Amino acid sequence: MAAWRERLAGVRGVLLDISGVLYDGGEGGGTPIAGSVEAVARLKRSGLKVRFCTNESQKSRRELVQLLRRLGFHLSEGEVTAPAPAACQLLRARGLRPHLLVHDGLRSEFHQVDTSNPNCVVIADAAEGFSFQNMNKAFQVLMELETPVLISLGKGRYYKEAAGLMLDVGAYTKALEYACGIEAEVVGKPSPEFFKSALQELGVDAHQAVMIGDDIVGDVGGAQRCGMRALQVRTGKFRPSDENHPEVRADGYVANLAEAVDLLLQHAQP
Amino acid sequence: MAARRTLKAVLVDLSGTLHIEDAAVPGAQEALKRLRGASVWIKFVTNTTKESKQDLLERLRKLEFDISEDEIFTSLTAARNLVEEKQVRPMLLLDDRALPDFKGIETGDPNAVVIGLAPEQFCYPILNQAFRLLLEGAPLIAIHKARYYKRKDGLALGPGPFVTGLEYATDSKATVVGKPETTFFLEALRGTGCEPEEAVMIGDDCRDDVGGAQSAGMLGILVKTGKYRAADEDKISPPPYLTCESFPHAVDHILQHLL
Repeated sequence: MAAWRERLAGVRGVLLDISGVLYDGGEGGGTPIAGSVEAVARLKRSGLKVRFCTNESQKSRRELVQLLRRLGFHLSEGEVTAPAPAACQLLRARGLRPHLLVHDGLRSEFHQVDTSNPNCVVIADAAEGFSFQNMNKAFQVLMELETPVLISLGKGRYYKEAAGLMLDVGAYTKALEYACGIEAEVVGKPSPEFFKSALQELGVDAHQAVMIGDDIVGDVGGAQRCGMRALQVRTGKFRPSDENHPEVRADGYVANLAEAVDLLLQHAQP
Repeated sequence: MAARRTLKAVLVDLSGTLHIEDAAVPGAQEALKRLRGASVWIKFVTNTTKESKQDLLERLRKLEFDISEDEIFTSLTAARNLVEEKQVRPMLLLDDRALPDFKGIETGDPNAVVIGLAPEQFCYPILNQAFRLLLEGAPLIAIHKARYYKRKDGLALGPGPFVTGLEYATDSKATVVGKPETTFFLEALRGTGCEPEEAVMIGDDCRDDVGGAQSAGMLGILVKTGKYRAADEDKISPPPYLTCESFPHAVDHILQHLL
């Protein structure tokens, strides 16, 4: 593999995944990943542009930012690109009234959205809310529509919490796709529109940006398909087999965010 | 078509073929007796995820069918056989009523997952437990992959969606054991010493009974009872070997033409 200097040349902006890169969720909200609080602070001081790009769909942006601040990170809601606000835009633009299969923590994001007489289903990481009854209700709503529309906030397979790996929304989206014979529209990583809007808000071109994430497909593959570079951290949901993934090869693998920031500060040109 | 060998085994579907809910198909008991007069193996094969062999047997005996337990082969039996063959300890995501068919199977410290129709098990903590086993390499055995089924209160999700979700999350493929899988039909013949070319399957489901059996090398006879709908026989290629009114007609055809 080429030297880091070559791989990171010309980087002017950084997109950071949150869960599994900044912190691991779990009891009492979660714990920061060692070195990540300082790494974010150093990155922000460096002159490189920084934005957070998450598929978090269990909590609202406000709750997420409050949690991260409690863990010692410095960031504001305006610095976070998350799927729920993007989904709200899409719903409004297309006159869609969703049936929400989402975690209670996310509902506040949809306060402004008309949910009466639903003509689509929005599915997000509902965790315990993925009961048979709730899944069946969403299924029945879809089957009653002439053209079933299913909008999925991300399509992740799993994520890491202190207790272990947890099923993510993607497994449940797949279940509804299979049951109804349809394909969901994904809002969030790895959808190119989502990365593009994050890049726009970051204010650099794709070839000047690097994505740092723990998901080889959703973060790394998705960002690369948009013309960005991408590093995978060996934290969060990372598994050693990711480095031999049949389809996706990261531009680099690093121990954690702290190492990624060391390398960026050394080799990128702000 | 290649020359067929003498018929030695007849596989018969249950629901929709011998009976419809709690009523026998007219003439089916007598037809079964006639068939028993010929020297063929008879096996009753069915996709069930919540009725144990004992439940099925009781229902059939109430309808006065002369059937013994060892003649019944279900998708649950197929799953149990696979569990024994692989020598694994399954986590059983099954309806309580199906559990008698797994009596004696070690299920502590599981290293495999067997999944059927079990709505009360399809909650987040239990599926998450199954997911973690699969991620560690445990095999996933699905009784079948039906998308949904009809309940009194409307359509309801079948096991298929949950199997598919687990497959996606773990990048793995389930082994499906029920009809129309070829292995199901081959397993049903196990112990008879018959080859698929020496067997015929009678059922009301064109794809799962007839198509599945024919793919396995058997003849398939479609009966127009149960879930049969007009023109179902056009749904598979090659078409059914024979389509006839009901089980007694199928038996008459076998006795007159295949023996």
